[in-house]
Amino acid sequence: MRRLNQAMSTLTGRELILLAACVAITIAFASASPVFATPENAATIMRNSVELLLIGLGMTLLLAMGGIDVSIGVVMGLAAIAVGRALGADLDPALATVIGPLTGALLGLVTAAVVVLGRIPAIVGTLGLLGIYRTAIFVVLGGQWLSGLPTSLTEILGASLAGVPLSFWMIALAYLAVWLALRRTSFGLHLLAIGNSEEKARLAGISVIKVRFAAFIISGMLAGLAATFYVATYRNVEMSTGSTLALDAIAAVVMGGTSILGGRCSLIGTVLGVLLLRILQNGLLLIGVPSLWQTVVTGGLLIAVLSLEVLAGRLSFSKLGWAGR
Amino acid sequence: MSEAFLVAKGIAKRFGGLTALSNVDLEIRAGEVLALLGDNGAGKSTFIKVLAGAHPPSEGQILVAGQPVSFASPKDAAASGIATIFQELALSENLSISENVYLGRELKHSVLGIPFLRRREMKQRVAELLKELDAHISDPEAPVGSLSGGQRQSVAICRALNLNARLVIMDEPTAALAVAETRKVLSLIRKLAERGCAVVLISHNISDVFEVADRMVVFRRGRKVAERLRAETEPEEIVALITGAHPDVRALEKAQ
Ligand SMILES: Nc1ncnc2c1ncn2[C@@H]1O[C@H](COP(=O)(O)OP(=O)(O)OP(=O)(O)O)[C@@H](O)[C@H]1O
Ligand SMILES: [Mg+2]
Repeated sequence: MRRLNQAMSTLTGRELILLAACVAITIAFASASPVFATPENAATIMRNSVELLLIGLGMTLLLAMGGIDVSIGVVMGLAAIAVGRALGADLDPALATVIGPLTGALLGLVTAAVVVLGRIPAIVGTLGLLGIYRTAIFVVLGGQWLSGLPTSLTEILGASLAGVPLSFWMIALAYLAVWLALRRTSFGLHLLAIGNSEEKARLAGISVIKVRFAAFIISGMLAGLAATFYVATYRNVEMSTGSTLALDAIAAVVMGGTSILGGRCSLIGTVLGVLLLRILQNGLLLIGVPSLWQTVVTGGLLIAVLSLEVLAGRLSFSKLGWAGR
Repeated sequence: MSEAFLVAKGIAKRFGGLTALSNVDLEIRAGEVLALLGDNGAGKSTFIKVLAGAHPPSEGQILVAGQPVSFASPKDAAASGIATIFQELALSENLSISENVYLGRELKHSVLGIPFLRRREMKQRVAELLKELDAHISDPEAPVGSLSGGQRQSVAICRALNLNARLVIMDEPTAALAVAETRKVLSLIRKLAERGCAVVLISHNISDVFEVADRMVVFRRGRKVAERLRAETEPEEIVALITGAHPDVRALEKAQ
């Protein structure tokens, strides 16, 4: 009990609210649907959270820096195609596990080049890339699904270590790596300083360009890792793979207490935000709400959380330039 | 008189068609507080931004300890021992005091090739510095956003000291401060000079300047129009130099 108390006291108000919200909707859905509170459904929710969690970690870094990437879901789609093609071509499956993160990192590099070197607001630059990547996916797939992929990758990630699936360890490792980078290295400190004010960070002697490049590349790499898990699980890639993930990630991260304007972030908050969103989407589906409504719920939540932050005086958009209006 | 730490020769700065500075010569000496005075828009901030490496000069040369230097960034200037506390304080409100003091020059140790922060040491060193400056801040982990204006100045001064700066430049450090906090910052400025630092201070407050400065330089419309030792001048003369009512300034401006 004392342990629990200690753990609770390290959480911020926002994180406690999210935790409480997760518990509350779990109880509500459990009483509304007999299927909801089963171990199988819990596993489904966890499974559905993997890609969003990985992409959310990257999005937390980007938002903390005052950046954003609205193309990140489609980046995952492209990386998934690369992984799928590699598997289809009977590439060594161990090698196939690095194809995803590598493709993601490369696309992150492209994003950074466009946004940082082009000095374009990230939201506009990545919106442009989103348009380009969508068509790229269409062209690469030629309107066809990539399906019936071999199970080799599934077997690798499904293997277990100390009784726990390898995939779980990889996600834990990704979380730990991002946490260390954010809280225990200069990179994290510089990221937060840039999120507070790029000009001040520059005056303090921080290489702003390098840090921004690194953040976009890490975010891309995490999206590539997410793609690897996606392909391992579903063994197919379609046109719309990943298309709602950017919205989901931004909503989850913002709900978690990371500032959409940068300078402040919470990784635990992101994990809780991801869980809340996925529990909500799963529960709504089980009580019979058509899946069409999922993005309505996500978008509505995002807008509601931002409005509440503005009302509470935690957030002010009034000093932004044209891109912010 | 000690030898000059920094010599500026014929500094000019143009922003497009606007000439913000022209032909400024100046010497800055160790252990001395030099005040820059002048009306709004006279070019004071622009001049120190040139010294700080934030703006490249359009013309002129800077010598540090006798050697010509050219700064591409504030980092270069810092490497030459110049620390600048800008008018719009360059502190990150979301970071802690100790993080701000070390920002851009963190202490690190390598574990498996990854450079991890040495947070405890940074915190300890900052606590020492704050105590040394008698800054009345107890917790180096407090976020800078929660501090008062005077406390923020102390943090900025701490940062300059920690960079082992030999020249500390301050742009209107007391402009937004109440009386007690102003006194505190002025005494910090004297402390810096006593430690052998050269200090350049920009201020619109003549009585503050007469309290701490050893030498005063007056800017007008981008030019240096006068230089006085405190012992040889009076507040009235300095005001006349700033407003342009002084005969010396009139003669100078007529000649152009
Ligand atoms: N980045 C810039 N781009 C264009 N013009 C500038 C820039 N910085 C300063 N100026 C101009 O240069 C001139 C000198 O400005 P500066 O800020 O150096 O004055 P100052 O003496 O510091 O004034 P104050 O006492 O109001 O702070 C002004 O006309 C100002 O508008
Ligand atoms: Mg100024």
